[in-house]
Amino acid sequence: MAEKKKTYVEDIERTLYDIKNEDHSVYKSHSGLTPEIVRDISRRKNDPEWMTEFRLKSLEVYNSLALPTWGPSLEDLNMDDIVTYVQPDAKMTGKWEEVPEEIKDTFDRLGIPEAEKTSLGGVGAQYDSEVVYHSIQEDMVKQGVIYTDMETALREHGDMVKEYFMTLVPPKDHKFAALHGAVWSGGSFVYVPEGVHVEMPLQSYFRLNAAGAGQFEHTLIIVEKNASLHFIEGCSAPKYNVTNLHAGCVELFVKEGARLRYSTIENWSRNMMNLNTKRALVEKDGLIEWVSGSFGSHISCLYPCSVLHGENARCEFTGVTFASKGQNLDTGASVIHAAPHTSANINTRTISKAGGKATYRSAVKVTKNAPYAKCSVNCESLMLDNLSRSDTLPVMDIEGDEADIGHEAKIGRISDEAIFYLTSRGIDEEEARAMIVRGFVEPIAKELPLEYALEMNNLVNIELEGTMG
Amino acid sequence: MISEEIFSAIPMRTWRWLNVNEVKVPENLSAEVRTEKILVESGENKRIVLDRREGGALEVQAHIADGGELTLIYAQLVDEKEAATSRIKVYVGKGAKFSYTTVEAGAKATAAELTVDMAGPDSVADVWGLYFGDGERKIDLNYIIRQGGKRTDANMQVRGALLGGAAKTFRGTLDFLEGSKGSVGREDEEVMVLSDHVQNRSVPIMLSHEDDVDGHHAVSIGKMDEDKLFYLMSRGLDLAEAQKLVVEANFQPVLDRIDDDGLKAEIDAYLQRRLSHG
Amino acid sequence: MAEQLLAIKDLHAGVEDKEILKGLSLSVGKGEVHVILGPNGSGKSTLMNIIMGHPKYTVTSGSMEFEGEDMKEMKTFERSRKGLFLSFQTPEEIPGITVENMLRTAKQVITGEKVKLLPFRKELKATMQELKMNPEYAQRYLNVGFSGGEKKRTEILQLLMLNPKLALLDETDSGLDVDAVQIVSEGVAKFHNKDNSCLIITHNTRILEHLKVDKVHVLMNGQIVEEGGPELIEDINRRGFTHILAEQEG
Repeated sequence: MAEKKKTYVEDIERTLYDIKNEDHSVYKSHSGLTPEIVRDISRRKNDPEWMTEFRLKSLEVYNSLALPTWGPSLEDLNMDDIVTYVQPDAKMTGKWEEVPEEIKDTFDRLGIPEAEKTSLGGVGAQYDSEVVYHSIQEDMVKQGVIYTDMETALREHGDMVKEYFMTLVPPKDHKFAALHGAVWSGGSFVYVPEGVHVEMPLQSYFRLNAAGAGQFEHTLIIVEKNASLHFIEGCSAPKYNVTNLHAGCVELFVKEGARLRYSTIENWSRNMMNLNTKRALVEKDGLIEWVSGSFGSHISCLYPCSVLHGENARCEFTGVTFASKGQNLDTGASVIHAAPHTSANINTRTISKAGGKATYRSAVKVTKNAPYAKCSVNCESLMLDNLSRSDTLPVMDIEGDEADIGHEAKIGRISDEAIFYLTSRGIDEEEARAMIVRGFVEPIAKELPLEYALEMNNLVNIELEGTMG
Repeated sequence: MISEEIFSAIPMRTWRWLNVNEVKVPENLSAEVRTEKILVESGENKRIVLDRREGGALEVQAHIADGGELTLIYAQLVDEKEAATSRIKVYVGKGAKFSYTTVEAGAKATAAELTVDMAGPDSVADVWGLYFGDGERKIDLNYIIRQGGKRTDANMQVRGALLGGAAKTFRGTLDFLEGSKGSVGREDEEVMVLSDHVQNRSVPIMLSHEDDVDGHHAVSIGKMDEDKLFYLMSRGLDLAEAQKLVVEANFQPVLDRIDDDGLKAEIDAYLQRRLSHG
Repeated sequence: MAEQLLAIKDLHAGVEDKEILKGLSLSVGKGEVHVILGPNGSGKSTLMNIIMGHPKYTVTSGSMEFEGEDMKEMKTFERSRKGLFLSFQTPEEIPGITVENMLRTAKQVITGEKVKLLPFRKELKATMQELKMNPEYAQRYLNVGFSGGEKKRTEILQLLMLNPKLALLDETDSGLDVDAVQIVSEGVAKFHNKDNSCLIITHNTRILEHLKVDKVHVLMNGQIVEEGGPELIEDINRRGFTHILAEQEG
């Protein structure tokens, strides 16, 4: 039999993300989790009383819930070792100059301020547990758009936060939602008033610098009737030898006729457990668009959920996951059709290499109240070697006879015929493979903001390794 | 703001898999297990028909030695007051072929498990299933094909129709084990849902630990093709008749594989009768 | 006789244990147009794939030269850069790579020069117009969702843009309607000149309408069994292949 060439895809270039700064935090909670620690965090954050109670209640729920029995093993996670609150030595500011040099350098290296100047309507930056910088363009403020850190929102828009906070992802949802409810800190709050279209995207960047720490930022976005917004979330952390935990929570409220695009590029370091919960509630004629790129972390469990709550509500989900050595990325999506004529499109690509494990896990639920629901799922997996694993685990639970549900999945490697075709056009094999891998993720890349799309193409940097049997 | 009901529909809460993890053994099932063993010798070609009319638990173990071929037809037409379970395990050797046709149409509650272990290189598994649920029937199916050998070829084709208040779960798994180089696998489920009280769960799983494979699965759940119905009605059929015809057409590829004319005619008549009542 | 471009001598080749080409000899000169006829399964497409270096096939003996250079060890992309081009019978669909992106990359590696985007786009657009293609197709993924005719036209577009020395056309006209064959035929005629040659597999003489055929080869059972001028096409159309076989055996 002819020898088959193996494609060697380079690991994601991480040096940029791996520069760790010295830990200059002014306060760190003790590791582990007790009511005292939670009270202490709450006091330091000057929470209103209801929030302190909310946290303590969440802690109770946390203690009462078991770890999930499905998905990647979480046994490496020892909550007693995780520092839940790390307050950086910086005050929240609206002026970039006032951000401490070292933290500023970090975000400079990641290109955040540059992007703010050229293509963003507003930027937020979180360093460890607290947001250190937030800004938004003047004219948006005039239109009533609010974009600030959660702590400021809690102070200045307390009623609104109270009305929405963790109503979509209640602490009893699962163990890490409860944990989040108890120790959340930082994150962004966005409010777009009725009929306002935010033309340029808002971007929040989350950076976890302290070793052995957890980041529990809360993102709460409300897009009122007929308004629209594009929100971008970026995450990274330097690599440490101890486990870091990310258990953020994203709650998105998309009101009647509103549109929200939520883009994420997640590139946590390989010691990160990323147990993030994201959920959107979409009302009549509303649209949620998820664009999700998962490249980093040691373990990820991430299944953004769209609850299509109003008639004609729609969801578009586009995701790409790239699992390499030492990574177990369990990602996917879920959709609940809870109203008539709701529709969803889920489109994902996964790549696994060098022993990485990529799992696509999804759930599509059509309730009895959702006649004429329409959902189409398409997931494709590319395996670059046989050290890796690629699994597809979708569940469809359909009630009623007026639903139209289609699911399609493919798994395999780069086709020899496609390589032959491209090499017959003069392109060498190495480049042909690279083109095919880039082409594989292209439907996702084209949904990303340009700088992220370029970054993603860089991530898929291909090299040809010698021949293997 | 949001009703509790929706939260309970969110599978993410603990990802209980909507209770699809285990096959549920029907209640009131007799403890006695009937066991059948089938051995196909090397180079032998065997054809076996399991025409099942009795409830209870059935276990079948089949071993197909290298180069052997087994054609197994399993028709479950158990009385609708009874519960029936089956567990069929098949080992497929080198260059051996397993050809399976199953009809799950009877019993008030059915749980069926099929495990095909394609251990031998160049082995072939061709699995065709039909299920039919009406009334308050519960159907729980779990078909697993493990592709272990090199260049194995697996095909799983399942067609179903659900009427009345039937509840069904179908899990179909293609598992490409490490070393199954050059293997291909296809899995398709087509479900026709003919009543709004039906509960349909489909879990098409594909697992792979080998890059040099070609796996594909697809599920389509929904109403009937309106163009087809329109075409038939333009030829004078009423809606019910047209629907019946479309369901039959959908079942045909599975039924065509039953070469026992007597049995086939009986299944046909049985399904016809049940369809007319639906 | 024109300067030799492609010379194949006593070629034996096949896939795994099965020999498909059994001592095939064929040569094409510079600027010439050759046509290969043969019944289904005679090895025509295999020959094209072997000339282009498809890794599935193994050459067991014989020689194969392009411009006097032994090409048996050449990789597919090297053959392409030397000036060979295959118009596929069933072109691959490759998602995520646009027609423009693929062509620009190919042109860059074949010419070894940086291809500037704007002049390239202009040329691409003009060529697409000649082939009566919707310019939007430049931004579509390679052959994905294209009809059979669109795929074939995209092959000819690539032929014209890459301008190789020898075009191997594997049933480029099959599955096309009359108008499309006309366009493809004009495209091939435009490509052909005193330096550029064509080796064409066809069942349809219409594609040859705008070309002057120099030589016709009849391929049966892995060998060239008869050769002649353009009159041979007419002859086969009238009398079929079995007649030749009978003569051979007789």
